[in-house]
This record gives sequence, structure tokens and C-alpha cells, in this order.
Amino acid sequence: MMAASPANRRPSFVSSVLRIFDLSLSEMLWSRRSVFLALLVGGPVLLAVVSRVVWMFVPNESLRINGGAVSGASIFGLMIWLLYVRFIVPILGVFYGTSLIADEVEDRTITYLFTRPIQRGAVLVGKYLAYLACTVLLILPSVMVVFFLMVPVGGGSIAQMFPSLLADLGMLAAGLAAYGAVFAWVGARVKRPLVAGLVFVLGWEPAVLLFPGYLNRATVAYYLQGLVPHAMPQDSTMSLLLQTFADMPGILPSLVALVVLTAGALWFAARTVESREYVLEQ
Amino acid sequence: MTTKTRYFVVGSMLTLAIGLGVGLVAYSVGFSTSAFTREGGPAELQFVPANASLIAYADVHDVMASDLRQQVRSAFPMKEDGQHEFQNQTGINIETDIDHVLVAIVPTGEETGRMPGSPIVLARGQFDQVKIEALMREHGAQVEDYKGTRLVVGEAADGKPSLSLAFLEPGLVAVGSHLLIRGAVDLKSGGSSIAANGEMMGLIRDLESGHAWAAGRFDALTSRANLPDGVSQQIPGITLFSASANIDSGIRGTFRAESRDEASATSLRDVVRGFLALARMQTSARPELASMLESLQLGGTGKTVALSFDLPPAMLDALVSLGRHRQGTLAPQQ
Repeated sequence: MMAASPANRRPSFVSSVLRIFDLSLSEMLWSRRSVFLALLVGGPVLLAVVSRVVWMFVPNESLRINGGAVSGASIFGLMIWLLYVRFIVPILGVFYGTSLIADEVEDRTITYLFTRPIQRGAVLVGKYLAYLACTVLLILPSVMVVFFLMVPVGGGSIAQMFPSLLADLGMLAAGLAAYGAVFAWVGARVKRPLVAGLVFVLGWEPAVLLFPGYLNRATVAYYLQGLVPHAMPQDSTMSLLLQTFADMPGILPSLVALVVLTAGALWFAARTVESREYVLEQ
Repeated sequence: MTTKTRYFVVGSMLTLAIGLGVGLVAYSVGFSTSAFTREGGPAELQFVPANASLIAYADVHDVMASDLRQQVRSAFPMKEDGQHEFQNQTGINIETDIDHVLVAIVPTGEETGRMPGSPIVLARGQFDQVKIEALMREHGAQVEDYKGTRLVVGEAADGKPSLSLAFLEPGLVAVGSHLLIRGAVDLKSGGSSIAANGEMMGLIRDLESGHAWAAGRFDALTSRANLPDGVSQQIPGITLFSASANIDSGIRGTFRAESRDEASATSLRDVVRGFLALARMQTSARPELASMLESLQLGGTGKTVALSFDLPPAMLDALVSLGRHRQGTLAPQQ
């Protein structure tokens, strides 16, 4: 019996994923979308640098929000809530997650990937991992820089806040993974995924979280908020309602839910890519 | 992977690794505000026993010289007879001679009023040692020598433990029970002081920037507070607390509580939030109080609950005029 020649041998799922990951990471990092990503990630860092410089020149004047004095550690918590959890992570999930397959379809380059001797699901998983690496490697260092700039302001302790930084990094990575997987599925399934994603993130999630009941369990934010180690900010009436009505899940249920959500969405996304016939518009 | 991408990945991972490394070192060593500050806490802590349950500090000089104090003084003029008499008897001018005071409550088993232990006061400043010693002798105190330090031991009265005094260093006077002052002299030559108590020092390091601060075990506060059963059971499991205030023309402060676990901290935050919401509803028609409540910020992470406040000069003016108004309306009735 003749053994299959190396040229005809179909690569395994894992090696296909790694090949696509390798190919997609550079594409993703140095694309036009990266400018948007850099702006999103650079914003909090710039804000932290400005706050730190101001504090260096007027050390006796504490930072204030609504006229109230707040420590650097509290502002760091506030930035994690308002900038990262409520904005940057979901928006990045939408923009990158929905584009994993949709961009290839739009650019009519998906044919080149699908005609390779690799499983279609591996294409999606490889691109998803590239998205995760790209966003995690940009966001986590940005959080780290913001932490070291902000926490010492007003006498905060790096040592005391370090465990919460670890929790923040883990939480943000879990959030990026979950949002990315959900929107990868949306991107593989829906024709105009970006609109659907933005409606979900900016419309559905904030609205549903305000109401008591079980509807909020149909969001990613509900589980992600359960992992945030900082007190929820009292920035608006919306936050007050959130604190009053919304029940916060525990850390373990939140983690389990996010893992199940990520794995489930990724599996469904891979299945969709495997079975769906993509018609390229001429 | 292109070279550019490889550089990016390495740079990003390096940033993460350095940050985590520095944070880990800070966490294990217990650095305060940054990795480059001194260990923390006033030097007088070396004379406080390791089992002290409560420590309070006040920068008397700064507080006395603050605009706020002058403002309060002009708004509510007080008789200074007591202050002058104290100065005549001891040679100590509270306003100018005392730099700062550290008070610690130590559970020694001696009953001192409703305090959960015996207090020891360590004051640093300019003192007339001879005058103070003479004054105490006039009131029946005895002088004894203990390990090369002169101890002025007061007379015990009404079954209360005697009050002792010692000058531990030039410009540093310690006042407290005989047992504690002897303990402070012992600690002068080394031993286990509060500086070796990691739990308390962790709290104290974060309070250093305040003009006045206090830190301690919460049970030390509640054990003698005679709280009703219902109330004490409703307080979520707080183990440690700290409070600090900065005083200039206004007051900025923070109260921080460490709870037993994160669930207790969450429920404590809910309780505080509820009170704040209730207070905001009650004061909605009174802008001077409403703006004060606006300055209250609830925060904290994990097992920590923090409540910070800020009373700027304008707000204090409003409160002072409110106090004057009340005095004015009460005066004719008296």
C-alpha cells in the first residue's frame, strides 16, 4: 500500500489553526482598523498621563469628580468600569469579531482560504485566536500602564491594589474572548453583522441590564460585570438603577458562564462557516 | 509572522511581564505608593506594642496652623483660659510646641473608662522637661529610673491605674499607664513593636499623607460601643478600618473598611449606598447639604469598602453660617 505523499496529506486541525493564526495576526495588526484600536487603547493611557502630570505639579490638590475628591485607585477602578468594561472591550469585540469572516467575504478573498486543504472551521478559529492575541496584547499592557500611572496618585498602594489588577487583567481577557466569540458567530451568520453587533452592544445590553428579571442573562456584560473587582461607579442615574435592580452574579458562575458562552459561540461559529455557502457579490 | 509583528508581540509581552514583576515584588514586599518610597509610618510607632488594636495620629502643628482652624476660631470664639493654664503648668503651648501626636490603644487588661484597652500617647515637640516633672511631683508623682530612663509615675487615684510619663528621646514624651510606659522603654532597645505587625502597618502605610488618621481593628471600636444587638448583627463582617483626613482651608478625608470576605464588602457597599440614596432624598431641598452629600464617593475593591468626602471652604462657610443661624435662633429661648 502506498503512503500518501506529504504534498497530498491534509494538515491536522490544530496545525491549520496555527497557520491561519500566523497569517492573520500580521494582517490584523497592521490593518486600517489598527488605527481605531490604537486610538481606543491610547485614550485611557493619555488620560492617565495627563492626570499624573497634573498631580505632579499640584500634589496637594486631589483629583476630583463632580467636586468630590477621589484617589488614584478609585479613578483606576472608574476607568476600568467606564472605559474598558462598558466601552472598549465590547466595541473591539464587535469590530474585530464581526469582521473575521465578513471581511474575507467582502474582499472576495475567502475563496483562497476555502480552497486550501484545511477545514473551514480552522480558518475561523485561527482568525479568532489572532483577534484575541492582537487585542489582549494591546489592551492588557495599556491597563498595566494606566494602573502604574493612576494608583499611586493620592497615596494609593500598588501592593494593596495588585491582586485587583490581576483580576482586572483576567476579567478583560475573558471579556475579549467572550465578545469576540459571540460576534465571530454573528459575523459568520448574519449578512450585515456590524450593525447587528452595535445594536446588541450599545442598545440591547445597556437596556436589558437596567431591568430586574432574567433578561439580563442574555448579555455578555451581565457575567463580565460579575468579575469586576471594583465598586460600580455612581456616575449616572443609569448606574444607580443598575445598582438597585440588577443582581450581580458571583465570580464562579460568571466565569463558568463566560467559558460556556465563549466555547459555545466559537463552536457554533465554526459550524456555521463549515456549512454555509458564501456567495460572493460581483 | 513578520519581523514587525514579532517585535510588537515581544514588546507587548515584555511590558506585561515587567508590570507584573514590579507589582508582584511590591505585593510581596509591601511597598506603599510606589516601589521607591520609604517603609512608612511615623517613627514613634517603634514604641507602640505589636498588639495595639487602635492607632491614631494627628499633625497638630499643621492642623493648628490651617486656614480651617483659623476660620472655626473666628466663627466660634472659645475661651483660651484652659490652654493658658495648661501652658503655665507644663510649659507646653499646644499651638506651637507640639508637632504631632500618636495615640495607641493597647489591650493590657487594665480598664480605662469605656476604652477597649489602655492608651499610650506619644507627643513630639518642644517640651520643658524640668517644668513637667516638677508639676507632676507637686501632684504626688514619684520619679524612678527604669533602664536608664527617668519615669515619672503618677499617684493612682480612685482605683484607676497610675499615669506615667517618660521622655523617650529628646522632644518625645510618652504618657500612659505604668505598664505601657515601661513597655515603651523596653521597645527603645528593640523588640516586637507595631512596626512588625504587617496587618496594621499595611493600613498605616496608606494613611501617611493625611494630617490626621486612625487605623485599627473594628472589634476594638464596637466592643465598648454598647451597640444594640440588632445593629451590631447588621454590620457586615468588618475586620479592620482606617480613616484619614487632610485639613487645609477645607477637609478631605477617606474612611476605609476591610471586610472578612468579598460578599461582606458587597453587602456593606449596598448598605452605604442605601444610606447615601436616602440622605440625598432627604436633602434634595437643601442645596448646602446636598452638595456636601454629592462629595461623598463610595469606592473600594474586593474586600475593601471606601467612602471619601470633600468639604471645600465654600461648603464649610455654608455649614458655619448654618451653625451661627442656629445659635442665633436658639439664643432667645435660653
